[in-house]
Formats: sequence, C-alpha cells, structure tokens
Amino acid sequence: MILILSERLDDTVDLVLPKLRRRNVPVTWWDSGDFPARSRLTAAFSAGGHRITLHTEDGPLDLSTVTAVWRRRPTRSAASANVSEPTHRAHVDWQAQFLLDGAWDLIPARWLPSRREPERQAHNKIIHMARAASLGFSVPETVFTNDPAELVPAYERAEGRLIAKQINSDSFTVDGADHRTYTTVLTRRHLTSRHLLRHEPVILQPYVPKAVELRVIVVAEKVFAAEIDSQASRTAREDWRHYDDDRVRYAAHELPGDVRRRCAELVASFGLTYGAIDLILTPEGEYVFLEINPNGAWGFVETRTGLPISDAIADWLAQGESDE
Amino acid sequence: MSDFGAVLESGVELLRRLPRRRARVEEARRAAAEWGNEHPAAGAQLVVDVRPGTPVVDYDLLLAHPGGGTVALTAPSDEGVPWLIEHSTHWAAGQLVSVDDVHLSVAQALTMLRSLSRRDMTPHDEIVDQCLILNEVMSDDEPLTTEDLQAAADEFRRGRGLYDRAATVAWLEQMGMSPAQFEEYIGGIARRRRFRRRKEAELAPEYLAGHRSRFDRARAVWAVGSERWTAATPAELLAMLPASTGEAQVTIGDRWAGELPEPLRDAEAGAVAGPVEQGTGFFTGAVLNRRPAEDDAETLAAAGRAAFAAWLAERRGRASIEWHWL
Repeated sequence: MILILSERLDDTVDLVLPKLRRRNVPVTWWDSGDFPARSRLTAAFSAGGHRITLHTEDGPLDLSTVTAVWRRRPTRSAASANVSEPTHRAHVDWQAQFLLDGAWDLIPARWLPSRREPERQAHNKIIHMARAASLGFSVPETVFTNDPAELVPAYERAEGRLIAKQINSDSFTVDGADHRTYTTVLTRRHLTSRHLLRHEPVILQPYVPKAVELRVIVVAEKVFAAEIDSQASRTAREDWRHYDDDRVRYAAHELPGDVRRRCAELVASFGLTYGAIDLILTPEGEYVFLEINPNGAWGFVETRTGLPISDAIADWLAQGESDE
Repeated sequence: MSDFGAVLESGVELLRRLPRRRARVEEARRAAAEWGNEHPAAGAQLVVDVRPGTPVVDYDLLLAHPGGGTVALTAPSDEGVPWLIEHSTHWAAGQLVSVDDVHLSVAQALTMLRSLSRRDMTPHDEIVDQCLILNEVMSDDEPLTTEDLQAAADEFRRGRGLYDRAATVAWLEQMGMSPAQFEEYIGGIARRRRFRRRKEAELAPEYLAGHRSRFDRARAVWAVGSERWTAATPAELLAMLPASTGEAQVTIGDRWAGELPEPLRDAEAGAVAGPVEQGTGFFTGAVLNRRPAEDDAETLAAAGRAAFAAWLAERRGRASIEWHWL
C-alpha cells in the first residue's frame, strides 16, 4: 500500500495518482488534517508487537502494510469544529500531532521526501548552505544577521548590488493587506532603515548575475533540471516567483556531470529522497547554489518542460510494491 | 548649538512625526510647509518617495546650508516594524486581476491586450474570459502537436496581418520578444485554442439538440431607418425600400436564425416583423426563406461556438474575480 499524505485539493497529487493506478498499486490518499476530527488512529501494543490502524473515510488501513509514504502537503491535525474552546483545540492538536509523529516513526516504509524532522533540518537555509558549500557547490558570499551594523559593509562588498531575503517564507500583513517579501536588489533607501534589522534576522547576499535560473528536481538518484529564462522579463528578472509566463521561457537543461552528482549528494546527505534545488547559471558559466526546498514544487517544471518527474515519483513510490 | 544646528534638530523631529502612509502625504506636505515657514532661511523642501506596491512612503528634507550647498535629511524612526516587512510589497503589486487561481501580471495583461479580438466585449470582460480559459489549461500537460502550434501561429499572424517573415520579425521587435519567447507565447495560445476547440466539440451536439431552431438557416431582409415601413409580405417590403425617404440601413443576408435581429429569430418564412422602434428609428424585416437545422459539420461548429459562449458565461458567473487596482 502506498500512502499519500496531502490536502485534498493538492493538484500535484493528481499528476502522480493516475500513474500509480496504471502501475496497479493500491493507494490511500489521506490528509492528516482529518485527524482526529474525521479519522481514527489506534496503536495497540500486546506481547511481542504492536499494530497501528488508521480508519479513514475509505476504511481501515493497517499501517504495517504501507510500503511507501509520499508526504506532500498534509495539513496540520485539527480538532472537530465543535471543539470550540481555543485551549481545548490547542490541546487536541498537540496530542494528535504527537501521536501521529510517533506512528509515522514506527511505520517500516520508505518516505518521500522524508519524515518531518529531516525535512525541517534540510529546509533551514543556514544548514543547507553550509552543507552545499561543504559538498563543493559555489555559494554566494552570504550573511545571516540581525545586526544593523552588518548592512552597510555587506552593501559595499556587493558594490551596491545587494539583495535581502527572508530566513524562512512567511505571511504577514501591512495595513490589513497581505504583503510579500520578494528578492529585490536593495537601494540606498533600504540602508537608511538599517535600525529595523535588529527586529529580525535576514539573509544578505550579493546579487548574482544570471544567464538563466535553474530549478533542479531530485527524485532519489534521478536528477531533472529546468532552466527558467527569467532575464527575459522585467517583472521576473530578480525573482522568478513574480511569474511572467508570456515572456519567461522554461526548458529542460543538461547539467554538467559534477553539478548533477552534487545535487543528488546534497539531497541524500539530509536523508531525503526528494529535493528541489535552486541554482543560478552565471553568464560566465558558473553554477551557483541558492537553496534547497525539500518539498518544493515540481508540477510547473513538468508542465512547462515535459520532464517526466511524475513518472519518477510514481516509479519510486511503486518500487516497494513490485519488490514484494 | 548654532542656529543651523537647531534647524537640523528641529528638521529631524519634523521627519520623525510625519505620517508614513500614501493616503496621508498631503497632511505631511502641509506640516512640512508650516515648518518651512517657521525656518525661512533653511529653504526647506520635502521630497516624498512613493514606493510602488506598498502604502508606505519615505520622506527626505532638503535644506540650504548657511555656507552654501544642500543638506539632505532622512530620519525614519523605529516603529517596531521588522526590516523586510517595512520593505515588503502588496501581494498583488505586479498583478492586474485575479480570476480564480489565475493571477494575471501587468506584463501578461499588456501582452494579452495585443491578442484581444472581440468587438462586442469590453477589454475587461475579454481579459476575464481569457483568464477563465487559462484556469482550465493550468494543469494541461499534454504535449502540443506541431499541427496545434502551426495552426495557432497561422491564426495569430493572420489576425495581425503578419503575412511574411519580415512583418513577423518587425512585430517581435516592436513587442520586445525574442523568437524563443514568441514560440513560448504561441504555445500558450495553442493550448488555449486546443481547449476551446475540444470544449466546443464536446458541447455542440447537446447544445444543438436543445436550441435547434436557433441553427435554422435563414435568408432575411431587414431595414432600420427613420421611416415606418409597413408591408404585408417580404415582396412588398423589398419593393418599397428603394422608394423610401430619409436614410436607411438595409441588410439582405443568410444567417443562423439565432443571429438574426431579435424580431426575426422565430419568424417563419414569408413572415414580416415590424415596424418596431429601434434606437431613434424603426425596424422592419422579413424572412425570405428558412431551412431547418441540419446535423452537418458547419451547423455543429456554430452550435459549438454558441455552447462555448454559454459555458463561458456560466463559468464567469461562478468565478471569483478581483481587479486589484480598479
């Protein structure tokens, strides 16, 4: 049995599900946000062993039969709607999450990309940057800091082409409206508010000139690279997440062997079986590491380049079933 | 402290209390003007730095130095807003409209304007329709065939009079598009075109069955003018039109019955409709002959187009549409 953990409206799952069905392997798609409100979990211990059963809307599932788990985008465990007192809800959420983490640990299955903890570690930018550098990736001269005194020296080292990024993605509002922090090249105006840096740590990096940006998708030992020609768009030039689909060209990209190998090593070094790595290819032909997102999006890469990522994921998930 | 030192200190206090929101810039200008009146020797000017995509503004105060030259003061206070949030932008800063899951950037909208072709719709409505179709093809990863791409490119070029390579290259230059970008752009059009064609083919038979009389083939004559033409038969109407006074617009043509002017849509062959008031004049018309709808390719194609328009209208009614800057 393959267990897919993700929210019900996750259309990335829809890219893989038909391929698993074609491989004739049993699949359960479940969102941990259904627990405990709409699903039941029982871990029963008796002499010599234990049995963990998950009762979903599709029926009971003996978790010992699960050979592979794809932890995509599950929502957090949540109490039933009629548990309304906030402390009661928090209590339920905490208990449920704790039990689930334990249950997942006891399943002798293969995980894509991993259980929660390795992913959380790999997601941390300061950790993955250190790891990438140790594996031989070229990395920008980067400062993680909340020291206002670091800003001007970084700006000068970058010869006035400095960018600032968040330590972790987050949502916030300004005057009640949702705002975003994109990668932007700082202006001298930013320097005049340097005192506000003390309120939060940020990442400071020199702007790396781009021939193209690359999103590299690693599925176990398979490596797929897509180039994103963000330089063709004024909107997306500094951050392709501004999306300018009419002008930004996406295409499959052939990585040099050493870069390709390094990408796979980086993912494996965190105990992950999947990772989305962002690189820049400079006009001089150097591949520069930016970051790894251990559960980063790949659907748009497949749709726009035809790279067979969903097949690779389906193959990997089904592997344990066919071995049996 | 020197007089200028006191002016500087006072100027900093002014800057620290100015409201830093776009909506309150005029209030800030008045405060700065009052301050300037109190310090005439400083020749003060307030510079308002309006950042794009955020309600937050910055100020600088330019002062004349007693020894000549200009002193620029900037003095943002610490309002407890973390640095990246202070410099963030509205989530839709670069976007024009969101239609369900499609967020259309300003750049995409400007390119889209070039491909709008409907004269019976406002650009706003046509952009929304294009976005609705974009929603439908978002997860379409079926490869496009060479025929799909060629047909989309041909249609696109024909629509713009780009009949040869030189005209196409000139158009690309004008648009600032490289050949690779054009290929990507045509790929997007081809995907939307394929969706439309398939949807039309899927909906056509049922739509034709449900609206059969609309696809009768009719030959009709109608006139709109200042005169009230009254006729008992089509022949009588045709005979009186050349002799009428004043200006009139006369049409004789073959149409799908559903595309005839409303008074004639359900009229039998030989029937005369009107005169009825239309705008500032009168309408009179007659159906010369009417042939029942057939299940041929041409009729099915017309039914498909009408069905698609109806589907799109229904889809628009259900869509979440947000114009970010209107």
